[in-house]
Amino acid sequence: MKTGKEKFIPIIAMIVLLIGIFSTIYVNAYQIEKDTIKINGQDFTFDQLLSNGVEQTIETDEGEKTGIALNDIIIYSGVDCTQCHEYTIKAKDGYQQTVNWDILKTGILTDYKRVFFPDTAHSFWVRDVIEIEVK
Amino acid sequence: MNNLKFIAGILVFGSLWGFSECIIGSSLSETGLPTGAIMTGFFAITFLVISRMTYHRPGMQFGMGIVAGSLRLFNPFVGCHLCSALSIMAEGAIFEIIWYNISFDFRELKPITMQISMGIISAYFVYVGGYIVTQILTPIISGSGFFVGNLIAFMPNILASGLITALIGAVILPTVLLTRGLDLRLKDKLYYPTTIGISAFCWIFVVGYWFMLA
Repeated sequence: MKTGKEKFIPIIAMIVLLIGIFSTIYVNAYQIEKDTIKINGQDFTFDQLLSNGVEQTIETDEGEKTGIALNDIIIYSGVDCTQCHEYTIKAKDGYQQTVNWDILKTGILTDYKRVFFPDTAHSFWVRDVIEIEVK
Repeated sequence: MNNLKFIAGILVFGSLWGFSECIIGSSLSETGLPTGAIMTGFFAITFLVISRMTYHRPGMQFGMGIVAGSLRLFNPFVGCHLCSALSIMAEGAIFEIIWYNISFDFRELKPITMQISMGIISAYFVYVGGYIVTQILTPIISGSGFFVGNLIAFMPNILASGLITALIGAVILPTVLLTRGLDLRLKDKLYYPTTIGISAFCWIFVVGYWFMLA
Protein backbone atom coordinates (compact mmCIF):
# COMPACT_ATOMS: atom_id res chain seq x y z
CA MET A 1 0.00 0.00 0.00
CA LYS A 2 1.29 3.43 -0.93
CA THR A 3 2.06 5.92 1.84
CA GLY A 4 1.08 9.61 1.69
CA LYS A 5 4.55 10.58 0.52
CA GLU A 6 4.48 7.99 -2.27
CA LYS A 7 1.24 9.48 -3.56
CA PHE A 8 2.04 13.15 -3.30
CA ILE A 9 5.72 13.40 -4.22
CA PRO A 10 5.23 12.11 -7.83
CA ILE A 11 2.26 14.48 -8.23
CA ILE A 12 4.34 17.44 -7.03
CA ALA A 13 7.14 16.38 -9.42
CA MET A 14 4.70 16.36 -12.34
CA ILE A 15 3.38 19.80 -11.37
CA VAL A 16 6.97 21.09 -11.20
CA LEU A 17 7.69 19.77 -14.70
CA LEU A 18 4.49 21.34 -16.04
CA ILE A 19 5.43 24.70 -14.48
CA GLY A 20 8.84 24.45 -16.13
CA ILE A 21 7.40 23.48 -19.53
CA PHE A 22 4.69 26.19 -19.61
CA SER A 23 7.15 28.84 -18.39
CA THR A 24 9.56 27.86 -21.17
CA ILE A 25 6.79 28.14 -23.78
CA TYR A 26 5.70 31.52 -22.35
CA VAL A 27 9.26 32.91 -22.27
CA ASN A 28 9.94 31.89 -25.88
CA ALA A 29 6.59 33.21 -27.10
CA TYR A 30 6.95 36.62 -25.46
CA GLN A 31 10.56 37.47 -26.17
CA ILE A 32 10.77 40.92 -27.73
CA GLU A 33 13.04 41.38 -30.75
CA LYS A 34 13.76 44.99 -31.75
CA ASP A 35 16.62 47.00 -33.20
CA THR A 36 15.94 50.14 -31.20
CA ILE A 37 16.21 50.95 -27.51
CA LYS A 38 13.35 52.80 -25.83
CA ILE A 39 14.64 55.48 -23.47
CA ASN A 40 12.30 57.73 -21.53
CA GLY A 41 9.48 56.68 -23.87
CA GLN A 42 11.31 57.34 -27.16
CA ASP A 43 12.94 54.82 -29.50
CA PHE A 44 16.58 55.31 -30.50
CA THR A 45 18.99 53.31 -32.62
CA PHE A 46 22.44 52.66 -31.24
CA ASP A 47 23.97 54.88 -33.95
CA GLN A 48 21.70 57.76 -32.93
CA LEU A 49 22.82 57.41 -29.34
CA LEU A 50 26.46 57.12 -30.39
CA SER A 51 26.32 60.28 -32.49
CA ASN A 52 24.94 62.24 -29.54
CA GLY A 53 26.94 60.73 -26.70
CA VAL A 54 30.51 60.31 -25.61
CA GLU A 55 32.19 56.95 -25.98
CA GLN A 56 33.75 56.00 -22.71
CA THR A 57 35.89 53.16 -21.38
CA ILE A 58 35.35 51.93 -17.85
CA GLU A 59 37.35 49.47 -15.76
CA THR A 60 35.38 46.50 -14.40
CA ASP A 61 36.48 43.35 -12.62
CA GLU A 62 36.19 41.64 -16.03
CA GLY A 63 38.52 44.14 -17.70
CA GLU A 64 37.92 47.29 -19.71
CA LYS A 65 34.53 47.86 -21.35
CA THR A 66 33.79 50.55 -23.93
CA GLY A 67 30.42 52.06 -24.79
CA ILE A 68 28.29 55.20 -24.68
CA ALA A 69 28.09 56.86 -21.27
CA LEU A 70 24.64 56.26 -19.80
CA ASN A 71 24.48 59.78 -18.34
CA ASP A 72 24.80 61.20 -21.87
CA ILE A 73 22.04 58.90 -23.09
CA ILE A 74 19.66 59.94 -20.34
CA ILE A 75 20.33 63.65 -20.82
CA TYR A 76 19.95 63.25 -24.61
CA SER A 77 16.57 61.55 -24.10
CA GLY A 78 15.26 64.71 -22.47
CA VAL A 79 15.30 63.96 -18.74
CA ASP A 80 15.67 67.29 -16.90
CA CYS A 81 16.21 66.41 -13.27
CA THR A 82 18.39 63.34 -13.59
CA GLN A 83 18.84 62.89 -9.82
CA CYS A 84 15.07 62.97 -9.24
CA HIS A 85 14.40 59.60 -10.90
CA GLU A 86 15.14 55.92 -10.73
CA TYR A 87 15.99 54.04 -13.89
CA THR A 88 14.80 50.56 -14.78
CA ILE A 89 16.96 48.85 -17.39
CA LYS A 90 14.97 46.15 -19.20
CA ALA A 91 16.21 43.22 -21.28
CA LYS A 92 14.40 41.45 -24.12
CA ASP A 93 13.89 38.32 -21.97
CA GLY A 94 12.05 40.22 -19.23
CA TYR A 95 15.06 40.66 -16.94
CA GLN A 96 15.25 44.12 -15.42
CA GLN A 97 17.17 46.02 -12.77
CA THR A 98 16.46 49.39 -11.20
CA VAL A 99 19.25 51.78 -10.26
CA ASN A 100 19.45 55.37 -9.04
CA TRP A 101 21.27 58.18 -10.79
CA ASP A 102 24.45 57.77 -8.73
CA ILE A 103 24.88 54.25 -10.11
CA LEU A 104 23.49 54.93 -13.59
CA LYS A 105 25.83 57.83 -14.32
CA THR A 106 28.86 55.54 -13.88
CA GLY A 107 27.66 53.05 -16.51
CA ILE A 108 27.97 52.54 -20.25
CA LEU A 109 25.90 50.93 -23.00
CA THR A 110 27.93 48.83 -25.45
CA ASP A 111 27.25 48.28 -29.15
CA TYR A 112 25.99 44.78 -28.31
CA LYS A 113 23.32 46.38 -26.09
CA ARG A 114 24.72 45.42 -22.71
CA VAL A 115 25.15 47.84 -19.85
CA PHE A 116 28.17 47.71 -17.56
CA PHE A 117 28.89 49.46 -14.30
CA PRO A 118 32.33 49.62 -12.71
CA ASP A 119 31.32 49.02 -9.09
CA THR A 120 28.18 46.89 -8.98
CA ALA A 121 27.36 43.19 -8.79
CA HIS A 122 27.17 41.63 -12.23
CA SER A 123 23.43 41.15 -11.87
CA PHE A 124 23.16 44.85 -12.83
CA TRP A 125 25.00 44.25 -16.11
CA VAL A 126 21.78 43.77 -18.09
CA ARG A 127 22.19 42.06 -21.49
CA ASP A 128 20.15 42.70 -24.65
CA VAL A 129 18.74 45.99 -23.37
CA ILE A 130 15.48 47.07 -25.04
CA GLU A 131 14.40 49.85 -22.72
CA ILE A 132 15.55 52.24 -20.01
CA GLU A 133 12.44 53.37 -18.18
CA VAL A 134 12.63 56.64 -16.26
CA LYS A 135 10.49 56.45 -13.10
CA MET B 1 29.86 10.28 14.92
CA ASN B 2 31.40 13.05 16.98
CA ASN B 3 30.92 16.74 16.20
CA LEU B 4 34.49 17.26 15.01
CA LYS B 5 34.09 14.55 12.38
CA PHE B 6 30.78 16.08 11.35
CA ILE B 7 32.34 19.53 10.93
CA ALA B 8 35.22 18.04 8.93
CA GLY B 9 32.59 16.38 6.71
CA ILE B 10 30.80 19.69 6.14
CA LEU B 11 34.12 21.32 5.31
CA VAL B 12 35.22 18.70 2.78
CA PHE B 13 31.88 18.34 0.98
CA GLY B 14 31.28 22.10 1.01
CA SER B 15 34.78 22.71 -0.34
CA LEU B 16 34.33 20.15 -3.12
CA TRP B 17 31.02 21.73 -4.08
CA GLY B 18 32.50 25.24 -4.06
CA PHE B 19 35.58 24.06 -5.96
CA SER B 20 33.46 22.47 -8.69
CA GLU B 21 31.35 25.66 -8.96
CA CYS B 22 34.50 27.79 -9.33
CA ILE B 23 36.55 25.60 -11.66
CA ILE B 24 34.09 23.52 -13.68
CA GLY B 25 31.37 26.18 -13.58
CA SER B 26 33.67 28.81 -15.04
CA SER B 27 34.77 26.49 -17.86
CA LEU B 28 31.16 25.64 -18.66
CA SER B 29 30.08 29.28 -18.75
CA GLU B 30 32.54 29.93 -21.58
CA THR B 31 30.78 27.32 -23.72
CA GLY B 32 27.46 29.21 -23.55
CA LEU B 33 25.67 26.33 -21.83
CA PRO B 34 23.21 27.08 -18.99
CA THR B 35 25.93 26.81 -16.36
CA GLY B 36 23.89 27.48 -13.24
CA ALA B 37 21.24 24.92 -14.13
CA ILE B 38 23.81 22.24 -14.97
CA MET B 39 25.97 22.92 -11.91
CA THR B 40 23.01 22.67 -9.54
CA GLY B 41 21.37 19.68 -11.23
CA PHE B 42 24.58 17.71 -11.47
CA PHE B 43 27.19 18.77 -8.91
CA ALA B 44 25.11 20.34 -6.14
CA ILE B 45 22.56 17.52 -6.04
CA THR B 46 25.33 14.88 -6.17
CA PHE B 47 27.30 16.36 -3.26
CA LEU B 48 24.18 17.12 -1.21
CA VAL B 49 22.73 13.62 -1.57
CA ILE B 50 26.04 11.79 -1.02
CA SER B 51 26.68 13.81 2.13
CA ARG B 52 23.21 13.00 3.41
CA MET B 53 23.70 9.28 2.67
CA THR B 54 27.09 9.26 4.38
CA TYR B 55 26.56 11.39 7.50
CA HIS B 56 22.83 10.98 8.34
CA ARG B 57 22.78 14.28 10.23
CA PRO B 58 20.48 17.31 9.85
CA GLY B 59 22.15 20.66 9.25
CA MET B 60 24.97 19.24 7.16
CA GLN B 61 23.72 20.47 3.78
CA PHE B 62 23.06 23.94 5.17
CA GLY B 63 26.65 24.04 6.44
CA MET B 64 27.95 22.80 3.09
CA GLY B 65 26.13 25.68 1.36
CA ILE B 66 27.83 28.19 3.67
CA VAL B 67 31.28 26.66 2.98
CA ALA B 68 30.74 26.38 -0.80
CA GLY B 69 29.28 29.90 -1.02
CA SER B 70 32.20 31.31 0.97
CA LEU B 71 34.65 29.65 -1.40
CA ARG B 72 32.71 31.04 -4.36
CA LEU B 73 33.25 34.56 -2.99
CA PHE B 74 36.96 34.10 -3.59
CA ASN B 75 36.50 32.71 -7.10
CA PRO B 76 38.89 34.49 -9.45
CA PHE B 77 37.66 32.83 -12.63
CA VAL B 78 34.18 34.24 -13.20
CA GLY B 79 32.60 37.43 -11.94
CA CYS B 80 29.39 38.03 -10.02
CA HIS B 81 30.89 36.46 -6.95
CA LEU B 82 28.23 37.87 -4.65
CA CYS B 83 25.19 36.65 -6.59
CA SER B 84 26.57 33.14 -7.02
CA ALA B 85 27.73 32.90 -3.41
CA LEU B 86 24.31 33.93 -2.10
CA SER B 87 22.64 31.50 -4.45
CA ILE B 88 24.80 28.56 -3.32
CA MET B 89 24.23 29.34 0.37
CA ALA B 90 20.47 29.45 -0.26
CA GLU B 91 20.63 26.16 -2.19
CA GLY B 92 22.07 24.31 0.79
CA ALA B 93 19.34 25.67 3.08
CA ILE B 94 16.54 24.90 0.59
CA PHE B 95 17.77 21.31 0.14
CA GLU B 96 17.72 20.91 3.91
CA ILE B 97 14.09 22.11 4.05
CA ILE B 98 12.93 19.87 1.19
CA TRP B 99 14.54 16.78 2.72
CA TYR B 100 13.43 17.54 6.29
CA ASN B 101 10.73 14.86 6.22
CA ILE B 102 12.73 12.24 4.31
CA SER B 103 14.32 9.67 6.61
CA PHE B 104 18.10 9.37 6.73
CA ASP B 105 18.02 5.73 5.56
CA PHE B 106 16.04 6.86 2.48
CA ARG B 107 13.45 4.06 2.97
CA GLU B 108 10.77 6.19 1.24
CA LEU B 109 12.94 6.31 -1.87
CA LYS B 110 12.96 2.60 -2.71
CA PRO B 111 10.55 2.87 -5.68
CA ILE B 112 12.28 4.34 -8.73
CA THR B 113 9.33 6.72 -9.27
CA MET B 114 10.02 8.22 -5.84
CA GLN B 115 13.72 8.59 -6.63
CA ILE B 116 13.01 10.32 -9.95
CA SER B 117 10.32 12.51 -8.37
CA MET B 118 12.57 13.60 -5.51
CA GLY B 119 15.32 14.28 -8.04
CA ILE B 120 12.99 16.57 -10.00
CA ILE B 121 11.62 18.33 -6.92
CA SER B 122 15.00 18.76 -5.20
CA ALA B 123 16.87 20.01 -8.25
CA TYR B 124 14.09 22.36 -9.38
CA PHE B 125 13.36 23.99 -6.05
CA VAL B 126 17.01 24.18 -5.03
CA TYR B 127 17.90 25.95 -8.29
CA VAL B 128 14.83 28.18 -8.61
CA GLY B 129 14.89 29.00 -4.89
CA GLY B 130 18.57 29.93 -5.02
CA TYR B 131 17.92 32.06 -8.10
CA ILE B 132 15.07 33.95 -6.41
CA VAL B 133 17.03 34.48 -3.18
CA THR B 134 19.96 35.96 -5.07
CA GLN B 135 17.64 38.22 -7.11
CA ILE B 136 16.30 39.62 -3.84
CA LEU B 137 19.45 39.78 -1.74
CA THR B 138 22.04 40.93 -4.30
CA PRO B 139 20.41 44.35 -4.92
CA ILE B 140 19.82 44.78 -1.17
CA ILE B 141 23.41 43.94 -0.22
CA SER B 142 24.73 46.00 -3.15
CA GLY B 143 22.87 48.99 -1.71
CA SER B 144 20.64 49.79 -4.68
CA GLY B 145 17.52 48.30 -3.09
CA PHE B 146 15.16 45.50 -4.07
CA PHE B 147 12.24 46.21 -6.40
CA VAL B 148 9.60 43.49 -6.38
CA GLY B 149 8.45 44.47 -9.90
CA ASN B 150 11.86 43.47 -11.29
CA LEU B 151 11.53 40.00 -9.78
CA ILE B 152 7.94 39.50 -10.95
CA ALA B 153 8.83 40.57 -14.52
CA PHE B 154 11.62 37.98 -14.65
CA MET B 155 9.77 35.22 -12.79
CA PRO B 156 8.66 33.26 -15.93
CA ASN B 157 12.30 33.12 -17.02
CA ILE B 158 13.45 31.87 -13.61
CA LEU B 159 10.73 29.20 -13.55
CA ALA B 160 11.63 28.15 -17.10
CA SER B 161 15.36 27.93 -16.38
CA GLY B 162 14.73 25.34 -13.65
CA LEU B 163 13.36 22.82 -16.18
CA ILE B 164 16.81 21.67 -17.32
CA THR B 165 17.91 21.35 -13.69
CA ALA B 166 14.82 19.28 -12.86
CA LEU B 167 15.48 16.89 -15.76
CA ILE B 168 19.13 16.49 -14.72
CA GLY B 169 18.01 15.89 -11.13
CA ALA B 170 15.61 13.17 -12.33
CA VAL B 171 18.60 11.22 -13.64
CA ILE B 172 21.24 12.18 -11.08
CA LEU B 173 19.40 11.33 -7.87
CA PRO B 174 18.59 7.69 -8.78
CA THR B 175 22.17 7.33 -10.08
CA VAL B 176 23.67 8.63 -6.83
CA LEU B 177 21.37 6.38 -4.82
CA LEU B 178 22.81 3.36 -6.66
CA THR B 179 26.01 3.94 -4.66
CA ARG B 180 24.16 3.39 -1.36
CA GLY B 181 25.67 -0.07 -1.06
CA LEU B 182 29.22 1.24 -1.19
CA ASP B 183 30.97 1.88 2.09
CA LEU B 184 32.45 5.35 1.64
CA ARG B 185 33.60 5.68 5.25
CA LEU B 186 37.28 6.14 5.93
CA LYS B 187 39.23 4.54 8.75
CA ASP B 188 39.64 6.87 11.72
CA LYS B 189 43.35 7.47 11.27
CA LEU B 190 42.83 8.41 7.60
CA TYR B 191 39.68 10.49 8.11
CA TYR B 192 41.11 13.80 9.30
CA PRO B 193 44.21 13.87 7.04
CA THR B 194 42.03 13.08 4.01
CA THR B 195 39.19 15.50 4.72
CA ILE B 196 41.49 18.34 5.77
CA GLY B 197 43.85 17.64 2.87
CA ILE B 198 41.08 17.74 0.24
CA SER B 199 39.52 20.86 1.80
CA ALA B 200 42.89 22.61 1.99
CA PHE B 201 43.62 21.79 -1.65
CA CYS B 202 40.30 23.29 -2.78
CA TRP B 203 40.78 26.49 -0.77
CA ILE B 204 44.48 26.96 -1.57
CA PHE B 205 43.82 26.45 -5.28
CA VAL B 206 40.94 28.94 -5.47
CA VAL B 207 42.06 31.53 -2.91
CA GLY B 208 45.71 31.31 -3.98
CA TYR B 209 44.78 32.02 -7.56
CA TRP B 210 42.61 34.92 -6.43
CA PHE B 211 45.57 36.50 -4.63
CA MET B 212 47.79 35.94 -7.65
CA LEU B 213 45.33 37.85 -9.85
CA ALA B 214 44.66 40.59 -7.29
